[in-house]
Amino acid sequence: MITRRGFLGFTSAAALGAGLSACTGGGTSTGGGATEAASNNLRLFTYEDDSTIGLLKAQVKKFDQQNGTTTTVDSLPGSGAAVYPDKLRTELLGGKGPDVWRIWGGQIGAPFAKAKQALDLSKYYDKYGWDSKINTKAIGGMTFDGVKSGVPFISLGIGAWYNKSLFAKAGIAAPPKTYAELEAANDKLVAVGVTPCGLGGKYGWDIMRLFEYLLEHTAGPDLHDKLLTGAESWDRPEVVQAFTLFKKWQDKKWLPQGALALDPSDVEPWYVQGKTAYTITGPWTEAGAILAAKKSSSAFGNFELPTDKTPARHSGFVEGYMINARSGNADKAAALIDFILQPAAQKAMNITASTVKGAEPDPKTLPLASEWAQKYSGNPFYTIQDQAFPKKQADQYFSVQSDLLQGSVKPDAAAKKMQEIVSAWAKS
Amino acid sequence: MAGTAAIPKPKRGGRWSPWLFAIPALAVYVAFLVYPAVSSLFFSLTNWDGLSATYKFVGLSNYFKLPHDPVVVTAVKNNLIWTVVTIAVPTVIGLVLAIALNGKVHGKPILRLIFYTPAVLPLVSIASIWGWLYNPQYGAINSLLRAIGLDGLAQPWLGQDSTALWAVMVPAIWLRTGFPMLLYLAALQGIPNELYEAATVDGASKWQQFWHVTMPSLRPAHYIVLALSLIDSFKVFDMIYAMTYGGPGTSTQVMGTWMYFNVFQYYQAGYGTAIAVVITLVAIAVGIPYVRSQTREAS
Repeated sequence: MITRRGFLGFTSAAALGAGLSACTGGGTSTGGGATEAASNNLRLFTYEDDSTIGLLKAQVKKFDQQNGTTTTVDSLPGSGAAVYPDKLRTELLGGKGPDVWRIWGGQIGAPFAKAKQALDLSKYYDKYGWDSKINTKAIGGMTFDGVKSGVPFISLGIGAWYNKSLFAKAGIAAPPKTYAELEAANDKLVAVGVTPCGLGGKYGWDIMRLFEYLLEHTAGPDLHDKLLTGAESWDRPEVVQAFTLFKKWQDKKWLPQGALALDPSDVEPWYVQGKTAYTITGPWTEAGAILAAKKSSSAFGNFELPTDKTPARHSGFVEGYMINARSGNADKAAALIDFILQPAAQKAMNITASTVKGAEPDPKTLPLASEWAQKYSGNPFYTIQDQAFPKKQADQYFSVQSDLLQGSVKPDAAAKKMQEIVSAWAKS
Repeated sequence: MAGTAAIPKPKRGGRWSPWLFAIPALAVYVAFLVYPAVSSLFFSLTNWDGLSATYKFVGLSNYFKLPHDPVVVTAVKNNLIWTVVTIAVPTVIGLVLAIALNGKVHGKPILRLIFYTPAVLPLVSIASIWGWLYNPQYGAINSLLRAIGLDGLAQPWLGQDSTALWAVMVPAIWLRTGFPMLLYLAALQGIPNELYEAATVDGASKWQQFWHVTMPSLRPAHYIVLALSLIDSFKVFDMIYAMTYGGPGTSTQVMGTWMYFNVFQYYQAGYGTAIAVVITLVAIAVGIPYVRSQTREAS
């Protein structure tokens, strides 16, 4: 028999437990969320920031007017790949995910394709001729186990974006052409009281851009690619040398003080504000940081980080759209993507590295992005490392970087630890 | 008596009426709390990735993995440090403030409001504000230290293992002091003045009055403060997530954030849910004495 005291005690204790357990989401849905049955309503989920969300919404509105649809656009800007995929995943499991979502390629988009939450888009590739309209290599970045699960609309290369007046203040006449020149430029900047390279390590991925560049410099293209797939051991001199240089950048104050705790979204624009001389980022920074701060593009410049290797490469990645496998409106969702992929729409949205032919950035409105596209977009690229590794391994890798910069592990130990991480992943 | 004769006798089955009234609330409770909790328990026994439609039953292997996970070891240690510090410090400060504000102090309502305000602010706002205060280059804390010539003490507070966890605890203490203060204040006002008068007549000093009158009278308040603070401390998540994201490296991971990373980021929902179950069991173990005391009082 249940006594009153027993009942109260049981339910109170259960509430306490349930409150916590419910925090996991509980996994009450195992197959992804079904969206509404076919209707004229669509929902698009993205991570555009304040400077570009309005441009996307304007294009979506045009699509709605032409197609009699009503599309809701939701955005989660700011945290990068660290948080956005979680929100997306939670929405999908919550029972009503978006019809269309924006996502990065590589290992960030892969789980959605492998879990079959994202629709196989092969028939839409045929219907809209995307294979012939979109850069083939970019399509490869959103093809998982042979299935085209996403439509890439951006193929981005990472380089150095700098503040011309601070370079001039330090007596740097031209962007560095070799790694030695880059180090010399850093010394000159520090000598005039300017922090050279603005990167933040709060989520790991931003400061990683420096290390992956240093690894490309020490290991070269072939070895770097093999390291990323686990085909070669990380426990080798080239990797140790890259970690040694990484530490050197911090010790010589070429990075901001306390960089590990800094939020990338705070730090990246510092080169525009004159707090750092440059950052390592992509062409979106012109619209998102320079023009958003009402500064003239002419006060800034960009250059490919010198690797001293042939071919010269920079890190790169793709971003695209996926369609919910349970969307009741897959045909309309595909039509929306095709609309967004039109060169006119891409240009209207200030897409600075479109995968679509005929949508190159306008040199009048985006002179620096245009310059980058002309000078460097033809160069080969290596997969940016947070897309090369699954999230768990990427976080372990960031942890190794953190330990190294804090001095708790030496470069050779860091290389050994990386080998453990990558080989465990490669075996799994 | 006429009065009692007018009251109708309860019908057969009337003793079930209270339970019938409870059914709507119970249904909501089962649907939104018990069912997710049981689901979580089930998923902790699977290898579900948190995204696919399929999963495999793996028994207790997720639980056996826990002690071998070095981050779990770090997280448990951090949880213990967090629990001890964020209970002891706010409780002591809250008690001191309550005693001070219970006396003859000018502007008591304003002071109570000031001290309690952090407790009602959104946690993410607090994390953001303190994140800026701790900014190694432009934050107010380092700027102040440099301004008064203590440049050597300026640190990347959130950017190094040695200080990150402690730096996150400071705003946690700041926001959690208001709660015990308020409870102690209410309890202090319920202590009969006669007790102090009698103690004074017996020649007890202020310090003796504090130990022999005030503290014993505050026992129920101590119990509530400690029990709720303990539960709250063990499931800490938001402050650490917002301020350090578990970093640098994994140095500020606690069980709550590590559960989150596994469930939501690493596609290891089965393992992450096992961590959640462990947190829940600990919270229940801590909560049972409190619940029992409350139900005993209710009886």
